[in-house]
Amino acid sequence: MRLSPHPARRTASTLLVLALTAGLAALTPAATATDSPAVQGVSAPLAAKPYMGWTSWSMQSSKYPGLNPDGDYSYLTEKNVLKQADALAAKLKPYGYEYVNIDAGWWRDLDWKPRFDAYGRQAADPGRFPRGMKAVADDLHAKGLKAGIYLPVGLEKEAYGGGGVPVWNGDGCTTADIVYGDLRTTNGWDSAYKIDFSRPCAQKYIDSQAQLFADWGYDFLKLDGVGPGSFKSGENYDNVADVAAWQRAIAAAGRPIHLELSWSLDIGHAADWQRYSNGWRIDTDVECYCNTLVTWENSVEDRWDDTPAWTRHVGPGGWNDLDSLNVGNGEMDGLTKAERQSYATLWAIAKTPLYTGDDLTRLDPYGLSLLTNREVIAVNQGATPPARPVTPSDDQQVWAARNPDGSFTVALFNLGEAPASVTADWSVLGFTGKAKVRDLWNRENLGAYRDRIAQALPAHGSRLFTVTPQGGPVLTRTAYEAEAPANTLVGNASVADCGACSGARKVGNLYLGGKLTVNGVKVAKAGRYVVDIAYVSGDARSVRVSANGGGAVGHKFPSTGDWGTVETVSVPLDLKAGTNTVTFDSGDGYAPDIDRIDVPNLA
Amino acid sequence: MDTARPDSPELAASRRGFLSVAAAGGALAALGGLPAFTASAAPRRPVGSPLLTAAESAGTRLWWQAPADDRSMITQGLPVGNGRLGALVGNDPGRERLFLTDATMWTGTLNSTLDADGQFPYSRENFGSFTLLAELTVDLPDHDLSTVSGYRRALDLRQGLVTASYVRSGVTYRRQIFASAPDDVLVLHFTQDGGGHYTGAVSLDGTHGETTTGTRTGGQHASFGGEFANRLRYGAAVTAYGSGGTVAVDGARIAFRNCATLTVIVTGGTDYAPDPATGYRAPSLDPRRLARTKVLDAAGHSATTLLHTHVADHRGLFERMDVTLGTSTPLQRGMDTWERVRARFTDDTPDPELEAAYLQFGRYLMIAGSRGSLPLNLQGLWLDGNDPDWMGDYHTDINLQMNYWLADRAALSDCFDAFTDYCLAQLPSWTELTRAHFDDPRNRYRNSTGKLAGWTVAISTNVHGGMGWWWHPAGNAWLCNSLYEFTQDRAHLARIHPMLKGACEFWEARLLTTTVTDPVTGERREVLVADSDWSPEHGPLDAKGITYAQELVRSLFANYRTACEVLGRDRAYARTVADLQRRLHLPGVSAKTGWLEEWMSPDNLGETTHRHLSPLVQLFPGDRIRPDGSTPEAIVEGATALLTARGMDSFGWANAWRALCWARLKNPDNAYRLVVNNLRPSTGGANGTAPNLFDIYQVEQGRGIFQIDGNFGTPAAMIEMLVYSRPGHVELLPALPDAWAASGSISGVGVRGGFTVDLRWQDGRPTEVTVTSVGGRTATTVAYGERSRTVTLAPGRSVTLRDLGR
Repeated sequence: MRLSPHPARRTASTLLVLALTAGLAALTPAATATDSPAVQGVSAPLAAKPYMGWTSWSMQSSKYPGLNPDGDYSYLTEKNVLKQADALAAKLKPYGYEYVNIDAGWWRDLDWKPRFDAYGRQAADPGRFPRGMKAVADDLHAKGLKAGIYLPVGLEKEAYGGGGVPVWNGDGCTTADIVYGDLRTTNGWDSAYKIDFSRPCAQKYIDSQAQLFADWGYDFLKLDGVGPGSFKSGENYDNVADVAAWQRAIAAAGRPIHLELSWSLDIGHAADWQRYSNGWRIDTDVECYCNTLVTWENSVEDRWDDTPAWTRHVGPGGWNDLDSLNVGNGEMDGLTKAERQSYATLWAIAKTPLYTGDDLTRLDPYGLSLLTNREVIAVNQGATPPARPVTPSDDQQVWAARNPDGSFTVALFNLGEAPASVTADWSVLGFTGKAKVRDLWNRENLGAYRDRIAQALPAHGSRLFTVTPQGGPVLTRTAYEAEAPANTLVGNASVADCGACSGARKVGNLYLGGKLTVNGVKVAKAGRYVVDIAYVSGDARSVRVSANGGGAVGHKFPSTGDWGTVETVSVPLDLKAGTNTVTFDSGDGYAPDIDRIDVPNLA
Repeated sequence: MDTARPDSPELAASRRGFLSVAAAGGALAALGGLPAFTASAAPRRPVGSPLLTAAESAGTRLWWQAPADDRSMITQGLPVGNGRLGALVGNDPGRERLFLTDATMWTGTLNSTLDADGQFPYSRENFGSFTLLAELTVDLPDHDLSTVSGYRRALDLRQGLVTASYVRSGVTYRRQIFASAPDDVLVLHFTQDGGGHYTGAVSLDGTHGETTTGTRTGGQHASFGGEFANRLRYGAAVTAYGSGGTVAVDGARIAFRNCATLTVIVTGGTDYAPDPATGYRAPSLDPRRLARTKVLDAAGHSATTLLHTHVADHRGLFERMDVTLGTSTPLQRGMDTWERVRARFTDDTPDPELEAAYLQFGRYLMIAGSRGSLPLNLQGLWLDGNDPDWMGDYHTDINLQMNYWLADRAALSDCFDAFTDYCLAQLPSWTELTRAHFDDPRNRYRNSTGKLAGWTVAISTNVHGGMGWWWHPAGNAWLCNSLYEFTQDRAHLARIHPMLKGACEFWEARLLTTTVTDPVTGERREVLVADSDWSPEHGPLDAKGITYAQELVRSLFANYRTACEVLGRDRAYARTVADLQRRLHLPGVSAKTGWLEEWMSPDNLGETTHRHLSPLVQLFPGDRIRPDGSTPEAIVEGATALLTARGMDSFGWANAWRALCWARLKNPDNAYRLVVNNLRPSTGGANGTAPNLFDIYQVEQGRGIFQIDGNFGTPAAMIEMLVYSRPGHVELLPALPDAWAASGSISGVGVRGGFTVDLRWQDGRPTEVTVTSVGGRTATTVAYGERSRTVTLAPGRSVTLRDLGR
């Protein structure tokens, strides 16, 4: 998030206030995940950085010719996993990729019939994993890799066994003792009975599963179908207790196991996910379940809209998971080169785990270059904050993060259907003058740029830069509060209290014709001003912004995640010398609440 | 036409004489039955460099910060053309794409079997369609857009050049693309500085299933040929040469490796000939062979020589007019063209330099699209696929006419000839189709007189002598009037005289006698009215005496009589026509609506805000209705009321026509508002201007199509706002908007009567006007407001007036 030059007026909310020095206002590092316990481990804490690796699901779920010759999801076999592991070890391990994650189906045969041990725990399907799961983990470890495994949340219905199946090491507990009496179902597919953690046997069942994985030597568990999330809400689908139980069970099992949650987790429970896990999928599957691994339209492009709300929730110990990074083989991925680079760029700057679902034996040279660019990987893995949008979520957008060394990570995106120029104004980053620009993907210094950089991007394309200010004049801004009495409110627009807002108030109810005009915006000379807009919006909303009653330009403001958090994006406006008005018009939709605008004072 | 002041035969001089004083050679041969794609004489090569500095061409250079999407070439590709051969250019660094067109590349047939309703079929199969000639691709795999910085591309209107540049690994790469008329080829010239190189391949692909083959001997090249079902044969060829590396045919492609510079030369065409006697074909012409000859001939010259030859030729036409409409701000100048278009709209602030460039863009398109071949169709010369809306045909109920409203006004009379040549080459076929089919009993527009003579057209025409869609009786008159309007040339009049005569004969056979009652005096009198017709393109399908027909036929008759007088021909028949003209009914004003009547009815029978202004054809392009006291005030008021009712919010050509009418009514605010309405940025297919400045017409929500008439009609309106003329009378700044009033100038404006006008103004008043006689009349009045001067000039002489605005 970005701060205004008015920290004193900001209420001491959840925001980390960064000292504003030398005019370098702007981007704070993300809130460190202080709530998240540095998960117990022998050596390095788990998830100190976003994890890197490979997952089996992308190829399992694809109808790409030849991948699943024995039926849907049949790709998942020991042979294929180890083949991918060999390729990972050879090509990607030197760059930090280490996890090999076995996804859904390892306990199910080709007809998706499950197999359980005598204690209701998932057991390897002998067709897929004839040597069992431990042998695979051992082999992975032998290659210097880490092993990941998968479970759906809850007690799978087929494991219930009429309620009489004993729980391993369970002091007489059986499956009937761990679920609700009415056998209410849970998870994203309703494929399991919800576990009743008020019953003492419940934790024992989770402990038994965790112990099994620890004994097998697994380092990672993806717990899937978790709610609130996974397209479910309501009491039956609240799996926070399951996740907490898993954290306890893993701690007791004696082996560090990274716990990753899936899918589309409810942002309202972000604190729970941070507290109990190491990562959470913020969105649905990136896979398209089609003839390629993914498609741009299916769900890759959604991530630009869905990520900003979550940005402030990441930090060491727990990360926003945007799902697998399938950029290694353009033909199989189903993406253009430009789309693959953008995909990798967002994943890198959002500090999301970097795990690919590609066929690592068939990476094309461009895919390999994307997955192995050390400068880009460093953006993801380094001690730098995640980037977030500094412009609205329009077709052309700029994301940025202020790095501890005073440089900025700046990504330009063109999500439009045609090539377009995208401009990053330095004033958006909080400085002026010249800055050196390093092009990370192309591994070259582009030289010094004054005031801004504009680059032509292909359709769905991107650029990723490190921008280092060269000490220009201090940028100052003049603030205009939305709630100022001199402003004009139209329709339902009204002033409301807002703890996180400057002045503790904002203008809301901007919907269906509601309008806010900020009056008396004074500038010394005519020109294009990149105006900061501090706003609150629990979901992504659009607003039409105009100056002096001119033509309005519609902009989509990214979600701030809830209705108590202020974020800032910048919008260019042509202002005239003297007094101007700036209008926010909801048009025929629902607009974000406006806290304040900050207009640069240009020399 | 103002028949009260017919041009004196003694004073009539060349419409091309118009320009002969200023023209630096480049005489354009009229087609005269010869194919457009034909062996050309060795070009005249300029001695020195005609290239301009960046500063010299700045005001007429459009630029963009991103290449085109090759799926959106019609809105983002940059048009080039040599008047016959055109292309949309994408300018992607890693994959240069050109969609090539030849004006004659048409499918379809004579289409002479009527549908059950007595009208013409209108399908791609029978009527045919304008289609792509080829696609050219230059692949540069190492130059992917994501790997370059500082990209920009430009369209230099003054020099006729598309350029693109970018930096990759510290090396600046540049490319120039131009369509040369003298060498009859398209040239792509790739250079760099700093030790870079080009490695990749050139491919030339047909779009109709042709197979391209490469040839290594006798001058390496790749080519294809083909033949449509209508027996039109066509072909295209490409060659390339480089420096510092290798260029070699590789299969069907031309591969190049490590070249410091690269030149790609491509051309193509068809065996179409504008000659009905040969079925519109040139049987001895082998298009593929000719294309090969042309590219190999051109490859005998350096890219610089080709460039200089082209730029000299292009400037010779382009620089016949300069225009400044005021000074833009540094902020505006700093933006690329598309940003400026958007800012112009968002801020609703005039951008006079952008507006002047938009006018010049129309002139550029005219030069690029209308020289020595078929005229500009609905899409001009540019396509992004083989299924253009309305087949990319010729619409005779406004669109074709509007395409040529700009030419004479904008000092591009030579470019008008393609229109004349087309009509004359189609005329025998139109005449035969009229004779054979117009009186088909199923045709609701047939003559109820039982007589039939002459010729007319349907709403759409193709290039095979054929027609499509519905019969359009008054279309013949409008075509004739369009060809006649700026004419001062006896030879030209002689060429079109039979066309005018045939149209008069058609109307003589068609007009009906009826009795009308004068609404004021109650007097009853017999008048002549047009038989059943459709006022384009709304209201009743079969109304008699529609204003559109009455007014157009009236001008046709007047024009024909003048032509007869000038040529000393047909004296008896001219008297007959004079009698018909005298008896023609002319519209009145409806007591109900207060509008000039569109139908012989006081009722509004159509759509109030309909796009067509058919009943106002005498406000523009005609000038029977004038706000100068010569027209009954009630008629002017009725016309103004109808124009007002039609509204200000239409699209492209409809806005342009409205702007022209408001200019004639001396309402600068409305005229300017309509001009800038067309400058609205078009996104998502909305009405307005695309990133490449092509005019977009939204045919349905989310789908816009390119229709070039707006690109010509709008600049024509801009000129009409600055200079009005009819033979013997020139009026300065009739509708100068505030946005351009501070200061400006325009030179080379063609005015009717055989003069050109160079005009400067300051603070809304003319400061200096130079009138030059290019043949035609010797005398004209020059007026500004209430002031008027009469000047008398011998051909070639000019006079400068400085006191009109004082």
